[in-house]
Amino acid sequence: MFCKRGFSMHTTVKSFCSSSYLTTIPLPSKRETHMWYITPDELKDASLIDQYLNVLSPSEKENVIRLPGDKLQRSAILARTLVRTTLARYTNSVVSPSLFKFRKNNFGKPEVDWQCDKNWKPPPLHFNLSHTSSLIACGVTVDMPIGIDVEEKQRKTRNNLSSLARRFFTLDEVDYLNTISNPEIQRQEFIKLWTLKEAYVKALGKGFSAAPFNTFTIRFRGTSRLSLQKCGHSNSEESEIIVETLAEPKNVTTNWRFALLELASSHYVAICVENKRIKGVENDPPLLKVWKTVPFIKDELLSETDSVRTISSFV
Amino acid sequence: MAAFTGTSSVMFLSSSSQQIKAPIRISSLKAVSLSTQRAKFPSLRMRSVPRFKVSCAAKPETVEKVCEIVRKQLALPAESTLSGDSKFSALGADSLDTVEIVMGLEEAFGISVEEESAQSIATVQDAADLIEKILETK
Repeated sequence: MFCKRGFSMHTTVKSFCSSSYLTTIPLPSKRETHMWYITPDELKDASLIDQYLNVLSPSEKENVIRLPGDKLQRSAILARTLVRTTLARYTNSVVSPSLFKFRKNNFGKPEVDWQCDKNWKPPPLHFNLSHTSSLIACGVTVDMPIGIDVEEKQRKTRNNLSSLARRFFTLDEVDYLNTISNPEIQRQEFIKLWTLKEAYVKALGKGFSAAPFNTFTIRFRGTSRLSLQKCGHSNSEESEIIVETLAEPKNVTTNWRFALLELASSHYVAICVENKRIKGVENDPPLLKVWKTVPFIKDELLSETDSVRTISSFV
Repeated sequence: MAAFTGTSSVMFLSSSSQQIKAPIRISSLKAVSLSTQRAKFPSLRMRSVPRFKVSCAAKPETVEKVCEIVRKQLALPAESTLSGDSKFSALGADSLDTVEIVMGLEEAFGISVEEESAQSIATVQDAADLIEKILETK
């Protein structure tokens, strides 16, 4: 087990982990959304994981030790390493990964607790993390609340889809799913819808009680019927994913923008950002950039490749 | 006897304070006297946000039954050590797992859980406490 042997609570950050080894990235512009992801199954090198452990805070390490089993411990270490190294990249080497502190907003959503220095103004970074056992992803923006959710495409549910849908989705969404006769496609559409709803609630950052799943419908703007089966690069309004709260269906705010991707043919990723209209700036859809990373070792920008297939882009 | 449930480490001292040397372990199985803690940490303030629920500790059998259901849903080995503090997300549960765990609990305990509660359960303890609360009012 990685964490059973003793380690010093006062571990100095090894030079391996200094931010000079981490590619610094220019801040996302206000019209960009960045996403970094890790695939835990490809990261089993024990010495690398040990070094990642040094990036974590003492309380994070404590939490890791308490987890049952190597796999969960590794996953937890990777998740915290991903968040810390990702954020560090955007500070132009000012803040190294191990120095970040975090806190939760009033509703439990994690955010950066910048340790302010008079000489340096921290960038207004927003981030959100999502994990499955096979993929951990961290989305980052400047000034735009963000929520992301990742699910395995092949994910099976213990309960049948109709009972899950009837219970958690709105009538419109249930109707949509019922129009799909192919059970495999229906299952995939269910997962896509789930990730979009999850991403929205996480972006809102007010906890689930603020927006229980059955109080809002996710659909395409153009038609009254949702169809996430179309994949394409159409930028028309018709293909924009929107959210409609049941309380005020006519008042479709365009505050929230969605993107839905298929990653490495194995996962669906939904991203939701708050579309703040900036005076004097064209309200273009956020550009999405996606990197696959092995922190300190390798980063691959994959957004324009086959690994990242856009099902529905930000419009 | 008041007991606190909630996250296990206290993180709401003001950010300029140092690492807490002796973190308050909030465990629902121990009684925590408010006055003692206030004496140790004078800047401890209870925000109005309900990070802690004052509730009676759920019975150990309930906690154990919840652990069993969680293990099953998340395909964890039978020997894996879970406790009240165990967070579903740390055990590998995504949001879909969480609601499926809750549905499993409903079946096992013969109860019905509201949607908002179903989606907000974060730990084994949260689940056990909610179950007992529902059973009490049945």
